[in-house]
Amino acid sequence: MKKAAAYIILILLISFQLYNVFAVQRFPKPEFESGYVQPSTLAPNPRAEALAILDVVVLLVTLSVATWMIIKKRSRDGVFWISIFTIAYFGFFREGCICSVGSVQNITYALFNPNYSIPISAILFFAVPIIFTLFFGRTFCAAVCPLGAIQDVFVFRPVALKSWVLKVLGLIPFIYLGLAILYAATATDFVICRYDPFVGFFRLNASFMMFMLGAVLLLLGVFIARPYCRFLCPYGVLLNLASRVSRKHLTITPAKCIQCKLCEDSCPFGAIDKPVQIKEKEESSKAVRRIILLTVIIPLLVLVGGYVGSRFHENLASVNHDVRLAQELLHPDKTQPESFEVTAFKSAGKSVEEFYKETASIVDMFYIGGWILGGFIGLIFGLTLTSLSIFKYQEDYTPNKGTCLSCARCIDFCPVKPEL
Amino acid sequence: MNQALKKYIENVRLWRGVAIVAGVYSFIFCILIIANFTQINRVDPVNTKVINALVERLKENPNDNQLREEIRELDLLARKAYFTNQWQIRNGGYMLMLGVLVLIIALQFIRLATKELPVVSTESSDKLLYTQKTARLWISIGGGILVIVALIFAFLTQSQLKSTFQNAAIASNPEDKGKQEVPVVQEKTEVAKTEPSKVEVVKSTEVVKAENSVNPTQKEVQTQQVVKQVVATGDFPSDNELKSNFPNFRGYAGNGIAYQKNIPTSWDGATGQNILWKVAIPLPGYNSPVIWGDKIFVAGANATKCEVYCFDRNSGKLLWTANADNITDSPVTEPKVQGDTGYSAPTISTDGRRVYAIFANGDILAIDMNGNRVWAKNMGVPQNHYGHSSSLITYKGLVIVEFDSRTNPRVFALNSSTGDEVWSTPRKVKISWSSPILVNTGSRNELMLVAEPSVASYDPATGKQLWSIDCISGEVGPSLAYADGVVFALNEYASLSAIKVGDTPEKLWESSDYLSDVPSPVATDKYLFVVTSYGTVVCYDAKNGTNYWTKEFADGFYSSPIIAEGRIYLMDKQGVMHIFNADKTFTPVGEAKLGEKSVCTPAFANGRIYIRGDKNLYCIGK
Amino acid sequence: MESSDKKKKGGLSRRDFINSSIRFSVILGIGAIGGKLLTRTQVRQMVWQLDTSKCIQCGRCATNCVKTPSAVKCVHVYSMCGYCDLCGGYFRPEVKELTTAAENQLCPTSAIRRTFVEDPYFQFDIDRDLCNGCGKCVKGCGAFGNGSLQLQVCHDLCDNCNECAIARDCPADAFSRVPSDNPYLFSGYDSKKKG
Repeated sequence: MKKAAAYIILILLISFQLYNVFAVQRFPKPEFESGYVQPSTLAPNPRAEALAILDVVVLLVTLSVATWMIIKKRSRDGVFWISIFTIAYFGFFREGCICSVGSVQNITYALFNPNYSIPISAILFFAVPIIFTLFFGRTFCAAVCPLGAIQDVFVFRPVALKSWVLKVLGLIPFIYLGLAILYAATATDFVICRYDPFVGFFRLNASFMMFMLGAVLLLLGVFIARPYCRFLCPYGVLLNLASRVSRKHLTITPAKCIQCKLCEDSCPFGAIDKPVQIKEKEESSKAVRRIILLTVIIPLLVLVGGYVGSRFHENLASVNHDVRLAQELLHPDKTQPESFEVTAFKSAGKSVEEFYKETASIVDMFYIGGWILGGFIGLIFGLTLTSLSIFKYQEDYTPNKGTCLSCARCIDFCPVKPEL
Repeated sequence: MNQALKKYIENVRLWRGVAIVAGVYSFIFCILIIANFTQINRVDPVNTKVINALVERLKENPNDNQLREEIRELDLLARKAYFTNQWQIRNGGYMLMLGVLVLIIALQFIRLATKELPVVSTESSDKLLYTQKTARLWISIGGGILVIVALIFAFLTQSQLKSTFQNAAIASNPEDKGKQEVPVVQEKTEVAKTEPSKVEVVKSTEVVKAENSVNPTQKEVQTQQVVKQVVATGDFPSDNELKSNFPNFRGYAGNGIAYQKNIPTSWDGATGQNILWKVAIPLPGYNSPVIWGDKIFVAGANATKCEVYCFDRNSGKLLWTANADNITDSPVTEPKVQGDTGYSAPTISTDGRRVYAIFANGDILAIDMNGNRVWAKNMGVPQNHYGHSSSLITYKGLVIVEFDSRTNPRVFALNSSTGDEVWSTPRKVKISWSSPILVNTGSRNELMLVAEPSVASYDPATGKQLWSIDCISGEVGPSLAYADGVVFALNEYASLSAIKVGDTPEKLWESSDYLSDVPSPVATDKYLFVVTSYGTVVCYDAKNGTNYWTKEFADGFYSSPIIAEGRIYLMDKQGVMHIFNADKTFTPVGEAKLGEKSVCTPAFANGRIYIRGDKNLYCIGK
Repeated sequence: MESSDKKKKGGLSRRDFINSSIRFSVILGIGAIGGKLLTRTQVRQMVWQLDTSKCIQCGRCATNCVKTPSAVKCVHVYSMCGYCDLCGGYFRPEVKELTTAAENQLCPTSAIRRTFVEDPYFQFDIDRDLCNGCGKCVKGCGAFGNGSLQLQVCHDLCDNCNECAIARDCPADAFSRVPSDNPYLFSGYDSKKKG
């Protein structure tokens, strides 16, 4: 420092015009005599914007081709090759970002934070698969989602789970979706992206925990087909709901079902609804009473859920960056060195009072969010219980419109040829 | 051709073999990668404690070439390991991917070739009613567990976060309230009652009058008087008392003027000529001694201990040591400081009732004249990359602290007898290392501070900013000098400015020829003396900036010059005191060697000079 | 199939009707949300960048990026550099001799190159392949020098994750999404001005 200072003074004595520069910088830029040319500062440009539109185009094309393969061409091979393309393009080439699963959070975040300028590609990645699903079922899940596709190639020895297990585990994605929306709305975190298990493989770069989570899910996927899609994926929840009202869904048989039972175990996901005989119907008075009871307790479940959620809001809120910082500021841990967060906060010169007020309002948001999240979970539990009490008569083997991933495996098992 | 291909595809044995090989290969790579993963965290070159420790050691013995070689070798090893590891993981990842790819293909082919015909079971396996019933049961159980777990967690960690934060928000802004609650009328009578009983009656009433005329708005007057009341009840010395001692860094009011007489002009540390006593100071510190009566005070600190020492001024006997420990809010870890600032750069201040000291960690304490602690507190750790070095100063029962920290820079005053904060004024400045000075401009007392970008003046009683002028930049180290209505500010790589003080300050002249980054200037009514750290002393005309003389010395200066009896006492880094007349021409009076390096500013008493050397405290007198 | 049979007859079953109406209301809803968001959307793409004026050089950029080594690198703004012999970003504090020896260097990966220009000036360049974005030099340059060494997300390396893994752990909240046509946030220097 001192040596440099001495040099600076030398320059000072030589030239006097540098005075203005002093106000800005401690050490003025020297005037070189040797004809030195200053290199330019490296600032490489980001990926061109046009490529984001290309992503959307690729999405549209793959989704259309996949839908055509599934609904019209009825080709499992075609779906498989599209999966491979998806893994290559959306997976390894685009490194898993942007994906539709995560776009749920972008939409939520944009709705609650007016300052966030959401890219068009994010809106389209969210909307396009849902619109396709509304008409053709979950063709997106079948082959276009890189997360689904990478699990799909690991389906070797699928074990048929009991259908009640599927029903119970099928509730987890709803809770996950609720949490993801709550955290995105409060600008806390994008949990779906944070716990995306496969993006690490696509990037060939992951933290240890992420790598292990992905590896476990993939290995599990050898036996329990597509565990993430069925028991975790929050976007799958939306597609599940949309698919239920789809106009033209994949069918196992191209014509009339002949009840040959060949397709019965063909679905690795347990998404084929089997025929239900009338004789299985239970005593009608008992069933009706249960349905009435369940209908009555739905509002109650919503209330209980909401109450629990509201009690739990502080635990939910303590994930928030600001809330954690405020707690640390209030109760500093004397045994630990000051955390970077506290240092940064202090150096930012923000008023403590203001900050505490802001955090109080964040906690308040979580209180309301806790009510809504709890109520939502209560509602889902109630509706599921009700739907499990309804007797649905069914004659043929049909894919369950909600849970069917439109992978087209069952098609190969059907001996019926299409009517010409 | 097609037939041959088909044969290959359907050769299950072949594919099984491929699958086994690929599986084993992938497994091995997986294990290797995981092993590497754990290793990469161990040899993180960013936080190699070993090398850092070795470098520290090297600093202590700079000639240890073996150690130097060792560091270089270790550094190379660490970096090699780091990058090799990254290379291994990256390439291992590719290899693993390849293996898994082959494995998947093989397994897919096996599956294709060994496809079994679906078995048709005669009885329907899953009964709808059973499924529904079990699902209902488990959903209820799952929901119940969820509710119970959530509630248990919620009640275990219940902390009323929202109201806690709201209360904290209110608690963090208490000042306005306290002031408004005090009734106005009562204060005024209080002020009237207390004032006459105190020293300097005339002066302080004058100040009040001046303030009243300057600040016509009722509210400001009120708040000022509230503060006045607090101040006036304190016990504090008169100006004459302060002048007859040497209570602050750079003397009375911190302005570099000593009012003592019969100051010696020659001594020699080597021969002991005129050295009355010499005593070792236990802990190091770059603060300067201060004097009250027969006592002389210095502070010292290292990373673990902060102490204040009181010596008998006549005998050099250590009278007491006060330890600054067990202070609430004091940080556990000491802040990082640079070697040439240290943990105890700020000089002590005393008002004859108590001694006040501040250390690099922000600990402030008051000790009575017998060494008993009166109060101690920590007002925050100064965020300062060299180390806090602004000295304290007292003003009528207040201890004024210049706290130009990176975060929340401010100046505040503590009640000298209780340590309670009396006022605090935020400052929009960068970190500085300068010390405050107190100035009587004829009409009022002002507290003047300097830091990038401005010189600012405050009412020392209330903390209200009186004026400010932007004229300086950089890491301001030198304090201000004031004489006859003009204040002088300078800093290295910035400029020297002479500012006529007043509500609308005015820059009289400026210069950027000779600047200082450590020693402060000193001024008389006619002349300004600038001392640079690289060894130049310059005399300017205080009013127009004419350069009267420039004198180069062999060694640089860190110590600040003091004017006593019309002479400037200026000590260089080698401990040689240069004494010359504070006049238009350079007339040397004497040159005296201490025989020890020193960067501290000397303290003066009648017939005596006290100098803190690197390790010892010296008393010099005839 | 039942429904197609009915369609052939020209009628819609009740279920089909309900499904269709749900379908169209969902599409309407998505359209409404999408339209609302579109009005706010700037067509340009957003990328992650860190605000150097907020950065406290905590070192998490080096460790938290999904890429190894991090896409955050130290970038040298030459036009702000003082070309000091004693560079606070290059040398450890209180260094004794100004050589490139390991014990004097601050950079843990030795990613800064120091080349002589003319007496007494030196040019400092960042080797991006070696830099891991730890910010030690940035801290040194900011404390003792002009602050010409700054941490920035290098967009040729950044994956532009939907949510930046560094951003969510940045203690200073320095990361934000910025328009991709002006993707750098140097302090005291505009990367666009000089091309």
